[in-house]
Amino acid sequence: MDPTPSSLPEDFLKRTFSLLTSDTDHNSVSLVCKHWYTAERLTRRHVSIRNCYSVSPEILTARFPAIRSVTLKGKPRFSDFNLVPDDWGADVQPWLNAFATAYPCLEEVRLKRMVVSDESLEFLALNFDEFKCLSLLSCEGFSTLGLEAIATYCKNLTELDIQENGIDDLGGDWLSYFPENLTSLEVLNFSTLTSEVSFDALESLVSRCKSLRVLKVNRKVNLEQLKRLLVLAPQLTELGMGSFMEELVSSSVNGLEEAFSKCGNLVTLSGFWDATLLHLPAVYPVCGNLTFLNLSYANIGPDELEQILARSKRLVRLWVVDTVGDKGLEAVGSHCPLLEELRVFPVDPFDQKLGVTDSGLVAVSKGCPKLHYILYFCQRMTNAAVITVAENCPNFTHFRLCIMNPREPDYLTNEPMDEAFGAIVKTCTKLQRLSVSGLLTDLAFEYIGKYAKNLETLSVAFAGSSNLGMEYVMRGCPKLKRVEIRDCPFGDSALLSGLTQYESMRSLWMSDCNVTMDGCKKLAEEMSRLNVEVIKDEGDDDQVASKVYVYQTVAGPRKDAPPFVVTL
Amino acid sequence: MEVTLGLLDQIPAIDDGGGVPSGGSTTMRSILTGSKSKEDNKNTMVVSTEATSSYPVVVDESLDGLELGLGLSLGGGGGGLKSKTVVTGGWSQYARILTAKDFPTTLVSKPNSCSSSSSVNIPNSSTSGNKRTATDSVSPPNGTSVVGWPPVSKAHRMPNLASQMKSPTENFISKSEQNKSKNRTVGIKDYSDERNGITNKKYRSVKVNMDGTLIGRKVDLNAHTSYEMLAQTLHEMFFSKWPSKEAVKPSRLLDGTSEFVLTYEDKDGDCMLVGDVPWEMFISSVKRLRIMKNSESNELASRCEENSDRYRD
Repeated sequence: MDPTPSSLPEDFLKRTFSLLTSDTDHNSVSLVCKHWYTAERLTRRHVSIRNCYSVSPEILTARFPAIRSVTLKGKPRFSDFNLVPDDWGADVQPWLNAFATAYPCLEEVRLKRMVVSDESLEFLALNFDEFKCLSLLSCEGFSTLGLEAIATYCKNLTELDIQENGIDDLGGDWLSYFPENLTSLEVLNFSTLTSEVSFDALESLVSRCKSLRVLKVNRKVNLEQLKRLLVLAPQLTELGMGSFMEELVSSSVNGLEEAFSKCGNLVTLSGFWDATLLHLPAVYPVCGNLTFLNLSYANIGPDELEQILARSKRLVRLWVVDTVGDKGLEAVGSHCPLLEELRVFPVDPFDQKLGVTDSGLVAVSKGCPKLHYILYFCQRMTNAAVITVAENCPNFTHFRLCIMNPREPDYLTNEPMDEAFGAIVKTCTKLQRLSVSGLLTDLAFEYIGKYAKNLETLSVAFAGSSNLGMEYVMRGCPKLKRVEIRDCPFGDSALLSGLTQYESMRSLWMSDCNVTMDGCKKLAEEMSRLNVEVIKDEGDDDQVASKVYVYQTVAGPRKDAPPFVVTL
Repeated sequence: MEVTLGLLDQIPAIDDGGGVPSGGSTTMRSILTGSKSKEDNKNTMVVSTEATSSYPVVVDESLDGLELGLGLSLGGGGGGLKSKTVVTGGWSQYARILTAKDFPTTLVSKPNSCSSSSSVNIPNSSTSGNKRTATDSVSPPNGTSVVGWPPVSKAHRMPNLASQMKSPTENFISKSEQNKSKNRTVGIKDYSDERNGITNKKYRSVKVNMDGTLIGRKVDLNAHTSYEMLAQTLHEMFFSKWPSKEAVKPSRLLDGTSEFVLTYEDKDGDCMLVGDVPWEMFISSVKRLRIMKNSESNELASRCEENSDRYRD
């Protein structure tokens, strides 16, 4: 008789499953049968919770007893743009409390958009002896005191990655708290902290951590100091530089260039604050190996960009500021045939001066056929340009176009931008993420609903003409996971059109649309395994539901909801 | 290349006094009445802006006076500045218009730095990665002002001015109109408040270390109004778990009768006893606090005297 899945010995299953690395694989095997579910849950080491309220710490620890690595994401993404009030939630402490009992051997914690206090960081540092990796992305609530605790107590720390956080920077001496005998650090990223750290402590740390491969310093580290660090760590694969502002003379730069020439493993370069042509040449020795170049803090112009790109033929990912202009983007198109991802950030969104336009985008698409990820901020765009881009680059997986004036039409024809996004969804069948902008009618959404069958994430702002817009999408796109909508004329019937989708989605955010409390209540009644939360603004009248956050959950309504969050 | 970002973030609504940074700095108020947007009239917005005087720190000095002037003349929603650009502009527009005669366009970067583009939300000197100071403080080109738009995340709001930026003020922006005219002229509170210690005015935290404990704590000085309050807070922070509270009653921290003494480091780096100077003077000069054991403080006191003697010559 052939062995069935459920007859295989548990040990065998456990050993096999422990070799699986992907979360999706783990999820799949757990669904095969009860036997596999049991074996899998006992072996899972890493769990990624993309919405911290979709499950409770208790449920998590009950199901998975052997977790060593946790990724937790909290607030809705629009909190990055100040649309979510403070004190909304996403506190990490309840999770840490549960982990302290259930996972004393926890090694890695990666948090995104969570609220983390100094006390939580200290708790983490004190309660988990094996703790190795801390990554905080877009978190808030802590200060450098919390970092002091981490540095002091985590004897096995390999990774400290602090990015984009709302951190109370009380001074740079937290770095000096790393004990002399700590040599295990592999990743250190403090690029977004503003205070000067003790350079001696930093130098000593870099010198004794021979496995250091990622080092991203903040802007207070100057070129001379950078050079000294590079000399100590030529093995780095990723480097975030400090400030290039240096009135200093060539000797310093030559030293730096020579230090760079010894860094044969560098593939990622970022930082570049205050970079000018005076000192940029120092990085030329490593350009040839770079796959990711992050110039998003460097207000450089097209000429400087061209100089670097001409030497960086292997670039796969490039982030720039729109000061490079269309001319700079033409250089991208000419020099970067392997480019797959481009992000262009605005130096000043409200400046009337044109940064990049439709022609820059087209130029890149012509020269970079492998392009599949774009994030593009511009003042104006045309349908024709985007249609051309879709033809040139049919492999887009992530298309995020932000025309910075709300409801801006095609500036040449004055028509809505419907055809532009229509072309993208029609041609780019692998599209997973789409952010739309500009003047859009329901037609754009009809296209999306009809063609974007692989779409998972959709961001919409100031678009659409009626409920139909959202209805097209909710009914047409089967793989939606996250939908965020703001300032659109979508009301209750649009909200309810997604009834069948919401339980398989991670979340829906709607703010400043036409949704009412009645609509939300109706949704909550129909779907029991959803949390339908309304964030009340002061001054909202009773029927208005100005901010709605809907998400699937097995944890029931939030127990820690602040008074302005009403769960229906 | 010159930094070109505007930092005016926070804009309190005129009619809602809450959250406006208090305090001694001169402030400039102006009201920009959003003009009708081009496509329809559904987006009337009222944006009131306020910038603390620390803004001028960022802005080129020659524009300081200009800013104030701007404020006044902007009073009537752009007042007499009726040109198209004004109507569409944010701060940068106004600034440009007024300076057009006096400044060549190459200085466009400077006005930009006072354009309250929220995109520049930059980490100021005391915080980093500030997500709270808004992206939304100023009128985008069509005169409407919108919270959180364009959606530039905090990492990519140019941090170039990080070291110069002092204190974003709090931001009140009215929401954009939808199909129904809600006529929201009251700004909703932009929840980008400064709880993360961003402004000097609202929330000012300093480190407190106690002898014998490794990791310090922080305390918000602006949340206290007197030495007694501060002592109380510190007592709760450090001594609440101590069995015999008598020995370390809050008041005794101040009067030197307990075994601990409260000292601070001022901006000159000198070590001083807390309580000697008036409260206001104290909070303006304190950099960090230290709870010292009494035995050590005597030694320190004599060392401090030596140091100050040295400097006296």
